[in-house]
Amino acid sequence: METADLTQQRWFGSKSQDVADTKVLETVPIDEFELAIVEVSFHPGTHELYQLVLRDDEDAIADPGFARELVRLMDSDSDVETDAGTVEFRHTGDPIGEVADVRPMGAEQSNSSLVLDERIALKAYRRLGAGPNPELEVLRFLTERGFENIAALRGWYAHTGRLIDATLGIAQEFVPGSADGWDLALEDLRTNPARFVERARELGDVTGRMHSALASDATDPAFAPEETSAESLGLLNATVDEEIEQVFLQLPDDVPELAPIRGRGQEVRERLSLLTTVGSAGRVIRHHGDYHLGQVLLGADDRWIVLDFEGEPARTLVERRRKRSPLRDVAGMLRSFAYAASASRILHDTPAPAGWEDEVRSAFLQGYLAGVDQRLLPPGQAAVERLIAVFELEKAVYELRYELDNRPDWASIPVAGIRRLLEIDSEEAA
Amino acid sequence: MTLDTERQQHEVSSPSHWFERDPLWFKRAVFYEIHLRGFFDGNDDGSGDFIGLTEKLDYLAWLGVDCIWLLPMYASPLRDGGYDIADFYAIHPDYGTVDDFERFITAAHQRGIRVIADLVMNHTSSDHPWFQEARSSKDSPKRDWYVWSDTDERYEDARIIFVDTEPSNWTFDQHTGQYYWHRFFSHQPDLNYDNPEVQQAMLEALRFWLDLGLDGFRLDAVPYLFEREGTNGENLAETHDYLKLVRKTIDEEYPDRVLLAEANQWPEDVVEYFGDGDECHMAFHFPVMPRMFMALRREDATPILEILSRTPEIPDNCQWGLFLRNHDELTLEMVTDEERDYMYSEYAKDPRMKLNLGIRRRLAPLLDNGRDEIELLTAIMFSLPGSPILYYGDEIAMGDNVYLGDRDGVRTPMQWTGDRNGGFSRADFAQLYAPPLMDPVYGFQAVNVEAQLRTPTSLLRWLRRFIALRKEHPVFGLGSYEPLTTSNYKIFAHIRKHADDVVLCVHNVARSAQAVELDLSAYQGRHPVEMFGRTRFPRIGELPYLLTLAPRGFYWFLLEEDEDEEPDGDS
Repeated sequence: METADLTQQRWFGSKSQDVADTKVLETVPIDEFELAIVEVSFHPGTHELYQLVLRDDEDAIADPGFARELVRLMDSDSDVETDAGTVEFRHTGDPIGEVADVRPMGAEQSNSSLVLDERIALKAYRRLGAGPNPELEVLRFLTERGFENIAALRGWYAHTGRLIDATLGIAQEFVPGSADGWDLALEDLRTNPARFVERARELGDVTGRMHSALASDATDPAFAPEETSAESLGLLNATVDEEIEQVFLQLPDDVPELAPIRGRGQEVRERLSLLTTVGSAGRVIRHHGDYHLGQVLLGADDRWIVLDFEGEPARTLVERRRKRSPLRDVAGMLRSFAYAASASRILHDTPAPAGWEDEVRSAFLQGYLAGVDQRLLPPGQAAVERLIAVFELEKAVYELRYELDNRPDWASIPVAGIRRLLEIDSEEAA
Repeated sequence: MTLDTERQQHEVSSPSHWFERDPLWFKRAVFYEIHLRGFFDGNDDGSGDFIGLTEKLDYLAWLGVDCIWLLPMYASPLRDGGYDIADFYAIHPDYGTVDDFERFITAAHQRGIRVIADLVMNHTSSDHPWFQEARSSKDSPKRDWYVWSDTDERYEDARIIFVDTEPSNWTFDQHTGQYYWHRFFSHQPDLNYDNPEVQQAMLEALRFWLDLGLDGFRLDAVPYLFEREGTNGENLAETHDYLKLVRKTIDEEYPDRVLLAEANQWPEDVVEYFGDGDECHMAFHFPVMPRMFMALRREDATPILEILSRTPEIPDNCQWGLFLRNHDELTLEMVTDEERDYMYSEYAKDPRMKLNLGIRRRLAPLLDNGRDEIELLTAIMFSLPGSPILYYGDEIAMGDNVYLGDRDGVRTPMQWTGDRNGGFSRADFAQLYAPPLMDPVYGFQAVNVEAQLRTPTSLLRWLRRFIALRKEHPVFGLGSYEPLTTSNYKIFAHIRKHADDVVLCVHNVARSAQAVELDLSAYQGRHPVEMFGRTRFPRIGELPYLLTLAPRGFYWFLLEEDEDEEPDGDS
């Protein structure tokens, strides 16, 4: 596969960087295929590692023959050893068995996904980072504990060796006939806005129980909930404060959507500082990490399924494995409701009914607070609300930067979010 | 469960589980030196420990630290801050257990932070069982593990290092009627590296800690391993041969670990410790350190430029360790007598501040707590070829206590908050290993992490941004160094280059504003872009480039090629 091909792929994460070189560092023969770990180096002196599956120098990850061979190796718990390392294949629960039909899932992002016989989803990670992938860790943890609102883990394959210890891919159950939360919200907004309020309540409950499950094993160091350190709120405040400053330093002059917050950077930072004086941040746990409506499915049996435990792809694996407050997931979903309300207007010219977003928010939060282990949260309703507000602010600032870079006409959504925190909370936070 | 859990547990602390292969990681790393006793007390007994340090890893990760350097944590009678090791296989009980240590290593690796630790190869404590056995009788099988003599007149060309306390490098042992050799304190007998058993025993000690996941060692006092008549006993060929054996062992058995040599020597002697890239990975650049302080006082960049021009090229797979301050005195061994007198008169006005050939003070007090001065020296250090090493507490401009003995004045408790004991410990004040600073300028109520986290303009917040900036640009760790000659001797200006990245660093060491004209004709057509604020400066033309700098000010620029104005490369 030519360098140019690789760097043109959708899953190639660093398109804006100046590629100096690509090198195949290691190959592992898998039947008639070659699993290759490729290093892409960039001119400033950095590099990234990617997984390719090659046959006759073409990327063949979507080849049905490769998927079938992967399943066979996982089902038999095989190890393939080379001079440089080992690729281990494992299954959990019942073997997957014979696979006939293989189709790409579409919507490729930072990885490549296939659907096998409409019952198994196989995901190969493209960009590789050292250490266990959080998705494998979290799915395995939740699968072992019988948590029902996920697509259960069925197998994985991983590389160990001198070059890198990395998860290469996972197999999990495929949930057929489902709609994702985002499409569902937009559809409900057109047809039955009140229905989504109830769905949000259930989603809140599922989210709360998911966090409780993730915090349920104090004996596993990777998952044991931890008390936050004395300065954790200080660190959080300092981190978000820097992000706010950066964004406000670079606000362009020619985007009218920015009018409500222009020149108010200092006010936002002061608000943040108020919000983070809550005394305690509660406990930190492993969590979803990139939680929004696009990451949840409503199955045919009306059961919410949470997907994609990889965390934010733009962050390093080290950051994505970090334990943090579960309220960070909550804030992510609340922001997603705000996006759905605006997208309905922008995309379908169907404005959300007045108060819809507030209703959805409070239904979700009620469901969540009923389902979650209270020991994970800071003490008292006010502290919980403030901490959620901090994470919403962090998220909105991140969104603002993203929208300004990509779709400035959507900037009004994070702007409204920031404004909401400045104004709605003003009596309470003061 | 099909996973091989036993193997997982065994390997969970190993860096190879948490980092991809990266033999040169140390060239891009920011190091942070920790005095464990003074960092954070996790079990309320008045002394810092591994449990406490583990709790503070999130802080270090936030700051951007890539590698922690631990002062000695081994069992020791602590007559020399732990550099007197009494058991190479045990943790000092004040700091915790080997299990605590391994949990700490795992937690650090999980956060992307590596850890190296001090190891003293040259000598042991006189309490070490090896020495106790050796001194028990002349026939002891361990006798030859140390250096004995019937007279104290051998190796007379070797200087005495701790001139304030030691009259001789030989001390008489009453029991067996012989003298034993020690280059440092008399309670630290030198091991005899002519004995192959000693060589092997030390390799075994290294393996023990590397197996627990440690990422390498800072090798204390390496120039003195061997003794030979008629030499000064420093930097001998035999010493280098042994270090090469250590390196070979590590490369074969423990890839991606590093050896950092402490050799307080002139650059031309220190480079010998890199070998041909087959000895130590890193060595401290000692002589540049006092010259940065000197340049600032004299308002003259010449001392920095001179020492760098005396610094030979080093192999590609090696790196200098750069520092402003550390746990020792600001050492003035590698300066001339005249320079030393100057440094004493400027930086050690109180004679209590002197120790051996140096000044026992922290960064902030040395610079009269001047924020501009601290930022400027940090910028100069960060701009030089090498990896910067920060000393705990200097990121918040902690002070020192010259009334504590030896070097303890720069090893006081880390100041976390304005609460009792500076947030360092919940023990009673009287239980603390040393009092935290409480004076109005540097005391914990004025200077602490909590307050600086909350203050966007604080030194701590500035340093975090600065570390992030340096790490964004591997050129600082990997690139070449070219000094720029200017007509203004108050300006230290140089170019760093790596692949297509060209960085111009300009520092004004004067306490007045300065203008300087730089010959940048080699970069004609490029635009300097200031690295902090991304401000574009005027294009570089044929004429000398004029810059004006605030007092103690500095600029770092990326010299960016302007694609629009460049002729097509194919034409």
